[in-house]
Amino acid sequence: MSLPRRIAVVGAGLAAVSTCDALRAQGYDGELTLYSAERGLPYDRPPLSKDVLLGKAGRQDVLLRPERWYEERRVELRDGTPVLEIRAHEGGLGLSDGSVVRADRIVLATGGTPRPLPIPGGDDPAVHLLRTWEDAERLRERLLPGARVTVVGAGLIGAETAAVARALGCEVTLVDPVPVPLAAVVGDTVAGALHRRHAAEGIEVITAGVERVERRSAEVVAHLVGHDEALVADTIVAGIGIRPATELAERAGLHVGNGIVVGLGQRTSHPSIHAVGDVARLDGHPVRHEHWEAAQRDGEAAALGILDRPVPDRGAPWFWSDRHGSRLEAVGSMADAERIVSRGAFMAFGLRGERVVAAAAIDRVRDIKAARRIIDRGVAVDAVRLADESVDLRGVLR
Amino acid sequence: MSTSITGTGIRVAAEGDIEDGEALKVPAETTGHDDAIAVFHDGGTYYALDDTCSHGQASLSDGWIEGGEVECPLHSARFCLKSGEPQCMPATAAVRAHRVEVHDGAIWLHPGAPGSGEEATG
Repeated sequence: MSLPRRIAVVGAGLAAVSTCDALRAQGYDGELTLYSAERGLPYDRPPLSKDVLLGKAGRQDVLLRPERWYEERRVELRDGTPVLEIRAHEGGLGLSDGSVVRADRIVLATGGTPRPLPIPGGDDPAVHLLRTWEDAERLRERLLPGARVTVVGAGLIGAETAAVARALGCEVTLVDPVPVPLAAVVGDTVAGALHRRHAAEGIEVITAGVERVERRSAEVVAHLVGHDEALVADTIVAGIGIRPATELAERAGLHVGNGIVVGLGQRTSHPSIHAVGDVARLDGHPVRHEHWEAAQRDGEAAALGILDRPVPDRGAPWFWSDRHGSRLEAVGSMADAERIVSRGAFMAFGLRGERVVAAAAIDRVRDIKAARRIIDRGVAVDAVRLADESVDLRGVLR
Repeated sequence: MSTSITGTGIRVAAEGDIEDGEALKVPAETTGHDDAIAVFHDGGTYYALDDTCSHGQASLSDGWIEGGEVECPLHSARFCLKSGEPQCMPATAAVRAHRVEVHDGAIWLHPGAPGSGEEATG
């Protein structure tokens, strides 16, 4: 395909902004426009469930890029401008004011929407979801000292939100049907250590599903599966995952299945359309990597794909999650492991034969960086040495 | 750690005090600079950069040091140890590099002087 002169990016999260950054870094000098449904400069999402809820960070503190970046990089930001339609055949976008703008390449960075609780009463306004700046602002007003907060879902967002609510002095109950959440992702040892922290910090932890939400004037009640007693609270927060925002792609006739299906260079089934971030799923992979670094790397890969340049292998995926003053990090894919080797109580490796395919740890920043390199370089390892905390992982690399 | 100031250089450590792959964070009070400065040892060569990542609030002295680069502990941005230039996202701005010298069995930092890696003599 000929090189583009007019690129439209739909969405304004990290994947979208990273795409623009990478396009300019690669020397693309044509038009570049970001269409953001929300108002204001694009912001980073990880702080929403941490410093923003805590009141430590304002909007200016969490901007993905400062205002001058848009001028310097000649990225036109059209905020408050939802895209209603992708016109794949003629190369254009339909906007809410009825206008159509032309683009010879379109990047879909539409992200996801938090899944509402799929139960009766799950759509009550007292049930908060957390994805956007507005969501965080609304929730922050509810997290007052002494407020009773029920958090449904103890994965990443739920656990982080519960920890912040507790730090703010709320009476927090954390409910999840899985006894040790994240065990499949980080292994039993690390997941257990993480989950136990909640109770140690004064959060009531209940292993149960929620079957119904009932509003009683100012209170909101969560009825649990198999429990007679119900949880009475002032606020419920649901953190049970996201649904990829694929509507535009579906209506444009793109190949969609648990996300917009993409190949190398983030190419969708349409030659002039790419997809990045939470909404995209790499063909042949069962899961979407809904994480910060994955979004950033998608943007880099999309830029290379758009400019018809080779896309390098990106190595093992990585994510982090902060709760109770500790940092969980994980690299690689624990699902690919044949066995799990623990290195003390706070780190675990997933092994496949002599190779490390995954690692997870709490507050082991350097060890995780070493583990990532062990995975990416395909280093053959001795499980006994990995398990020995006195062995410097840097030495395993050499 | 003992520091002493001679000329414009600050003695920050004896040779051998900073192990290969490690870094020393020299506080702003010592350097008189507006940020702490991280002095890195990478494969026999010493480098110094502003300690605070240009992207987030993280200390580069806690980063991963290898192959002439440091990787930020927080979001994995990498910087060239020699120039301070960012090597990948999420960083888009450089951190300042400072001159390091190795002589008289010690590592000397020159805050504000243009950076260049200095090989150990021993």
